[in-house]
Amino acid sequence: MDRRRFLQLSALAAGGTLLSACGGGGAQPVKAGPTGTAATGEITVWSWQGPAAMMKELVPAFTKEFPGVKVDVQDIGNPAIWDKITTGLAAGGQGLGDVLHIGVDYLPAYIEKFPDGLADLVPLGADKHKASFAQGMWETVSRDGKVYALPWEANSAGFYYRADLFEKAGVDVEAVQTWDEMIEAGIKLKEKTGVQLLGIDKAATQADSANLFQALMQLQDAFYFDMQGNITLDSPAGVTALTIIKKLNDAGLVADYGGGWEAMIGSIKKGGVAVQPMPTWFGGIIEETVPAEKGKWKVRLPPAVTQGGKTSAVVNSTHLAVTGTSKHREAAFAFAEFVLTRPENQVAIYKGKGIAPALMSAYEDPAFHQASPFFSGQKKGEIFLDSLKQPSYVTNYSADYPRALKAVTDAQTKVLLKGADPAAVLKEAADLIAGQTGRKVLR
Amino acid sequence: MRLAPYLFVLPAVALFAIFKLYPIAWSFVLSLFRTDGALQTFAGTANYERLAGDPLFWTALRNTALIMVVQVPLMLGIAIALAVAFNSPLLKLKAFFRLGFFLPMVTGLVAYGILFGVLLNPQGGLVNWFLGLFGVPEIPWLTDTLWARIAVGLALTWHYTGYNAVIYLARLQALPQDHYDAASVDGAGAWRRFWHVTLPGLRPVLLLTVVMSTIGTLQLFDEPYVLTGGGPDNATLTLGMYLYMNGFRYFDFGYASAIAYALAVIIAILGIVQFKFLGDKS
Repeated sequence: MDRRRFLQLSALAAGGTLLSACGGGGAQPVKAGPTGTAATGEITVWSWQGPAAMMKELVPAFTKEFPGVKVDVQDIGNPAIWDKITTGLAAGGQGLGDVLHIGVDYLPAYIEKFPDGLADLVPLGADKHKASFAQGMWETVSRDGKVYALPWEANSAGFYYRADLFEKAGVDVEAVQTWDEMIEAGIKLKEKTGVQLLGIDKAATQADSANLFQALMQLQDAFYFDMQGNITLDSPAGVTALTIIKKLNDAGLVADYGGGWEAMIGSIKKGGVAVQPMPTWFGGIIEETVPAEKGKWKVRLPPAVTQGGKTSAVVNSTHLAVTGTSKHREAAFAFAEFVLTRPENQVAIYKGKGIAPALMSAYEDPAFHQASPFFSGQKKGEIFLDSLKQPSYVTNYSADYPRALKAVTDAQTKVLLKGADPAAVLKEAADLIAGQTGRKVLR
Repeated sequence: MRLAPYLFVLPAVALFAIFKLYPIAWSFVLSLFRTDGALQTFAGTANYERLAGDPLFWTALRNTALIMVVQVPLMLGIAIALAVAFNSPLLKLKAFFRLGFFLPMVTGLVAYGILFGVLLNPQGGLVNWFLGLFGVPEIPWLTDTLWARIAVGLALTWHYTGYNAVIYLARLQALPQDHYDAASVDGAGAWRRFWHVTLPGLRPVLLLTVVMSTIGTLQLFDEPYVLTGGGPDNATLTLGMYLYMNGFRYFDFGYASAIAYALAVIIAILGIVQFKFLGDKS
């Protein structure tokens, strides 16, 4: 990880300079340049479920404007797509799609471990979109003057809850300020309704079982790694985050999502838990899963970890990259540009699947300022937009995120299943990552 | 004319060289490099030194050894019992049973994974539902460290027992009947006949299956991969899983190669030991 880049980043984050750049007048929609219109060839686009479906819907409009380009959008599935991209990159780009949808948790590893695996988009004209995206985004996709992807979605930490259940329990969720207060509220909720507060995949049957832990660290402007790539997993912020999870579990407020995603969806259908502490994109999933519960759900930003602490954090983002070995880079870039830099397309995707754009000009659309009937008439789009406008902590996922994530989920499993001490398991995890990666543990 | 035999073996040798020899040799070279995706630096024995101090490697080795010590004898024991039953004149519908027990062997990995996932699902899985009928409380099949190990063992047993039973059966059918007749004349009961005629007769295939099962268990990957992902808390992490994770999750191909070579050495040692103890004495 380039140290200078991150120092730069943190300065940006602190000053919020980019915020004024894109929040103010709204960036001009940029037309696809001459590189785009002249583009020809057959391109394959790799993505997963929801986003893949939305891109498929955009293909006819794209082909109308770029008749020389034939687009095949493929739903590779998530997490299968990461293995496939890795294998393809390791094979020197063999068999990869031309456009790849990549999450922020994998992007640094692909950029750093496979130089030239992803194409530099600057020669294709990416720089003109620099100011169009939410703050911190451009830094996330670029490295040493090269730009490896265009930002798509920017997800803020969220807190979806069953307002009807909390009402029955006599808890005013909006008034809850910290996670400690939320634990009290959860105990009351369970006493009155028998429903548990939230669910975690305790045995870590899926890789993303530590979402809540991660968000709790990010709410404290901390992560597994600091900006210089040192390991900060067992920092006080990490121990505080895991202690909250332990307290929740010890109070009997955590349902077990053994099996991961399927179990979580099943639990939403059964009304098994009252809260989904999930980011922006998850609102669409809830709406799709239980359409009949319209008006029963509400959304807010998560409680702060400490009194007066932050309630907003951009927890992750996804991006479209062009494969370095693609024979039709211009066509591939034109498609990514078409999907990601035109507000009308981002608005259509938001309306379809609730995927929140990083493209700030999209937020001028009324779709983000409407009352949502499903979420009890709240203006859901504005709640998350406000979060997106806050000075954001830029998370250094680093190229060793997959290793760190494994160590983290194992540590969490020890706490949840065996009642282990958070500080002890995090120290053990930090040492393990250090041994595997040669990174320094900052203590 | 002298060339003819070589020409005949050429295709096989060429395929072996391309798909086996080259990767085997290259992975040894790789194991001497510190790799980070596409970046490589020569590191000598650093990867092997790292192995010695890597707690996860030792966890994986322990898990693998545990499965080998518990599961292999259990499975082979069941397979011998099945083979004897298949061979018994008392059993009707022989073909049906033989086919039934062998079929799991040809089941594809994905179908197999989905099948066991559905059966053992902690929420509303078929096995828990069935056990529930008898008042057995819900078993956390895949989410508890001990039960996850048992689940992997069950899946392995289901998958490979029939295959081993068929190998034993083939041998049993080749055993001359006069040995049994002679034993009967000497007054040996069924149990004695099994102990003194059947088992010694099985010796060569016993060695084969023990060696094959040992190698198979040491390389164990499919079952933990589809069922538990190596969890919970690394309880079912095998050497094969750890190797895969290092190579294809963490892009650390050098280290993954070092694990592969450590594994190869372990397999070689165990193989030699097994030949010493079970092999033909002559």
